Amino acid sequence: MSTLGELAHVVRSKNAGALYYTLDVMFADEALYNKVIASKVLNPTRIGELYQLSANAVQVINYDVAYAIKITIPRDYPSGDPACNDVYGAQQHAPLLGIEVPD
Amino acid sequence: MKLLATSGMLGYGYTEEAFQRAVDQGMDMIGCDGGSMDPGPYYLGAGTPFVSRRATKRDLGLMIQAGVKHATPVVIGSAGGSGGAPHVAWTQSIIEEIAAENNIGFRMAVIDAEQSHARIKQAISTGRVQSLGPIDELSAATVDGSERIVAMMGVEPLQAAFNEGVDVILAGRCSDAAIYASMPIAKGIDAGLAWHMGKIIECAGQVVEPRVGQDCVIGTLNHDHFVIEPGHADKRCTRMKIAAHTLYENPSPYELKEPGGILHTRECSYDQLDERSVRVSGSQFVPHSPYTVKLEGVSALGFRTVFVAGVRDPDLVEGMEDFVAECRKRVAKEAASMGISEHEYTLTVRIYGRGAVMGARDPVSDPHPHELGIVADVIAMDEDTSRAIMAKARYAMLHTDFPNRKCISGNLAIPFSPSDMPCGQTYRFSVWHTMELDDPLEPFPMHIVNVGKQTGQR
Repeated sequence: MSTLGELAHVVRSKNAGALYYTLDVMFADEALYNKVIASKVLNPTRIGELYQLSANAVQVINYDVAYAIKITIPRDYPSGDPACNDVYGAQQHAPLLGIEVPD
Repeated sequence: MKLLATSGMLGYGYTEEAFQRAVDQGMDMIGCDGGSMDPGPYYLGAGTPFVSRRATKRDLGLMIQAGVKHATPVVIGSAGGSGGAPHVAWTQSIIEEIAAENNIGFRMAVIDAEQSHARIKQAISTGRVQSLGPIDELSAATVDGSERIVAMMGVEPLQAAFNEGVDVILAGRCSDAAIYASMPIAKGIDAGLAWHMGKIIECAGQVVEPRVGQDCVIGTLNHDHFVIEPGHADKRCTRMKIAAHTLYENPSPYELKEPGGILHTRECSYDQLDERSVRVSGSQFVPHSPYTVKLEGVSALGFRTVFVAGVRDPDLVEGMEDFVAECRKRVAKEAASMGISEHEYTLTVRIYGRGAVMGARDPVSDPHPHELGIVADVIAMDEDTSRAIMAKARYAMLHTDFPNRKCISGNLAIPFSPSDMPCGQTYRFSVWHTMELDDPLEPFPMHIVNVGKQTGQR
């Protein structure tokens, strides 16, 4: 058993516009990417539970050509709103690091 | 056709050797994106840039001088960061200064992107405005309450400027990729390739290794593919880096929304051509009818004052949430004594060490750090009220009692004097929508100016 943080070489978050966060998980090679894809751990239901969102608010896209998995979730507040804590959306990725991927 | 992107952001810099090397190869166009909404709503509202004048002048200076010398068009999109009228004017003043100091002259097209409230309300009334995600439908009242609204132009206004034969194009809010897609599309190159190449080179140095700050990137367009390479001789572009770039800041790497259509990349091939350049093919642009542009707008919230402090006392760390609730009550009472009601201000207290970064969405629910950071801010209608409430909040947090309190001379480690930092008017995004157009040029009026030394008839 490994964590996503151990397997991926990029786990990042960023704004996709002012209303969404987009989280990219990228792998150094095809084998690691395929292993995580095959494990199906990065699915909307699981990510929804982790971020306390309904599964249909979560979009997951596999991007084979760059060995990357892209997750997009709505922000609670637009970037820069009084209750917003992360204007650039750059620190919303951490919960993904601990996801366990079976061997 | 060869296009040069000097930097991912005008003012973020690029190396002179990479720039010179590219220019010496002969470029058809020299471009730079000047904008981003990433720094949040403030800059659009306040009409100020988020880069320095000095850095912008340095980046522009080399571009303008080389452009004039080699008769290569220079294109700046999203001038001044947000691309509103004051941002365009700020950039124009720098360009005029560069022309005067270097004794050069040229014709420049200035394209505005700031929108009148009347235009947006007219579009709302005919059902031509839609939200771009979780934000309220746009109402006439929200438009009226907005400080500034810009629309993001596509390739067409830039193409109209090229048609005038100008030397420099200074555009307000503009699709980053359109800066580079406009000229090739006008010359008959496939729109899919042109948009995709524009999308990749607009962030310039971000697709280059080694990644040391920003630097120039060259896109070369052919009829069935394009090639991306760094400007700098010692840097390289890799297949992975180029392929991965369509992920950046987009909800999908396969479908990228642009003014007037969608760029599809699902059928693309990315091939390493040599050790420093990558060939891309298979991109498709599917026009969307009606033609749609993005609107960005902000409204003023009030004046913010910020306060920062740390807590080390273990009993206060333990009981922080109850303590803050108690302080809030005390602030409300003190505010009332000054004739300020609770509706006239907001007091936000972020406790770093207790989930301030992710808020309620943080799966870690019970952290136990040995110290906490407090970032408090007050927003009120005027600066005087904002400062008055923050002063009361600071006093309350410094001296309010809590269970088992032994640190009776003060609860906080305050790192700065002055402790309360007024940061002026603050804004929020009020408009994040799309607007349908009949004519892609209509909201983007262009005028042509002669800049600097004039040499008579051209």
